[in-house]
Amino acid sequence: MRRRSLLRRIAGVTALLIGSTLPYGFISLLAPNQAWPRRNHLRPPGALPNDDAFVSACIGCGLCGEVCPPRCIKFHSRDGGEGGEGGEGGGMGRTEINTPYIDPSVRACSLCGKCMEVCPTAALSPTLRKKVAMGIAQIDRTACYPWVDRGVCGACVTICPLGADAISFDFANIYRPVVGKGCVGCGLCVEICPHPSKPIWILPILTQTDEA
Amino acid sequence: MTPQRSFSISRHLNKLRWLSLSLVFAMLIALPCLHVYQTYVAAHAYDLIAPSEKQFYDVMEALTSPLTNDPATDLDAVKGNTWSGNFWGLKLSDPLAAVGQAAAGMTLYWPFLLTALIPIVVTAFFGRIFCGWICPANFLYELNSNLAAWLQLIGLKTGMRRFDRRIKYVVLAVGLGLSILSGSIMVAAIYPPAIIGRELYYAIAQGGFGVGMVFFAATLLFDFFVSRRGFCRYLCPGGALYSLLGRYRLVRIQRQVQTCNDCQKCNAVCEFELDPWHDGFGQECTNCAACIAICPTDALTFNLRLVDLAPQGPGHLGRQYRREHEHLDRDVDEAAA
Repeated sequence: MRRRSLLRRIAGVTALLIGSTLPYGFISLLAPNQAWPRRNHLRPPGALPNDDAFVSACIGCGLCGEVCPPRCIKFHSRDGGEGGEGGEGGGMGRTEINTPYIDPSVRACSLCGKCMEVCPTAALSPTLRKKVAMGIAQIDRTACYPWVDRGVCGACVTICPLGADAISFDFANIYRPVVGKGCVGCGLCVEICPHPSKPIWILPILTQTDEA
Repeated sequence: MTPQRSFSISRHLNKLRWLSLSLVFAMLIALPCLHVYQTYVAAHAYDLIAPSEKQFYDVMEALTSPLTNDPATDLDAVKGNTWSGNFWGLKLSDPLAAVGQAAAGMTLYWPFLLTALIPIVVTAFFGRIFCGWICPANFLYELNSNLAAWLQLIGLKTGMRRFDRRIKYVVLAVGLGLSILSGSIMVAAIYPPAIIGRELYYAIAQGGFGVGMVFFAATLLFDFFVSRRGFCRYLCPGGALYSLLGRYRLVRIQRQVQTCNDCQKCNAVCEFELDPWHDGFGQECTNCAACIAICPTDALTFNLRLVDLAPQGPGHLGRQYRREHEHLDRDVDEAAA
């Protein structure tokens, strides 16, 4: 008889534990992770370089979005984020729901730095404009208008807030943009690019290790 | 019947509490609106926006222009929600955010943990005052339970199922465990005030609700059809944390047995189904003061004590006490005669 009551108690505790995880499972069910990261999805400026550390530091309060003057910071509000990549780094059931991202092809970051100042956690920390590392711009030279001799443009070079270190012309008077080492990946060039297929995009700098 | 009760502020605290809840909720709606207005100002976009947005701009300008010189910067003074906010430079965060973040990263980041210090100290003194007085989800849950009560008056059946209150502590522990395992703050995803804060922001400034609202709607339905106030009573991880922090709160409601008449209205009105009539407040009490407001004899008052009084027995104005002490009355009468 005693064994039976013990078994019953163990079963009860197990049921309670499973029942208590149900709300968390419900959220994971509602917001499944995307299989692979979208092109042009960046973390806000000043984000922790390691994306796993960023996700575990971000509490999802939305303050960064609420101070953003261009309203470029969006949130993984209907999906669980881009947990597919890396794989090993993220723990089981890792969700990025409510963490911020910037899609510069829609609206780009103006590097004002308000989000880094307002963030209560270590997820975004105040960083000098030139030290920001969101990503680096990539140009498709088989599509960009000047590179395929379809006219002059230079929109990306004109809009760049970081000057010639970040993006400049190949030769004087030839309007072919070339990305330099100073690029921090704010994405204003992507937003301004007039080409419908956006032959300029930002490759996010994300690491899964604690170095960098 | 007492001729005229003297004015006491504690009897009106419940109204004050509704005012506080409404103000917090209104703030959570106003702040995203102000943010959208700020983005228009920052972009000098008045001539570019649609007519409806122009109307919105004009309303916001009329509301804020007496208070600010430069909306783009001045309105940054108050930002955020009850999960984490920034009030004139003072950063405040929910203790659950601090605990959840420490669990998810397995690190202690002091600048953030300190933002939860003031709420923790306030909870240590006043108990679950966040749940009763501030929580924007509690505002909706309480309206929901009032609606259920009204519908029950006209004969509809709503859920009144009871569970074990200790389940929420397990939910908290499991949530923190899952946060450690997954490296993401799982408790944030199911904590209703955090959901309400950010979902209102998503709806106003980001073009629509996210899935958190689906979860919140599910909890509302759970409260309505299964168990009244069920989420707060039995499941909320934040409520569990606040209960633990406020276990030895200094300010608590107490029954004065001399003036109690055993009417049990306090038990009927308590949102958390506590037992004020038998001095059973415990750590779950949110100090919401609804029982104080309804008490016809002002037998319930706030007092400074670290633990509840032991059960004091039937109220001295009640029928049972008088029946038991009839001989005393007789003695008194005889002495007077």
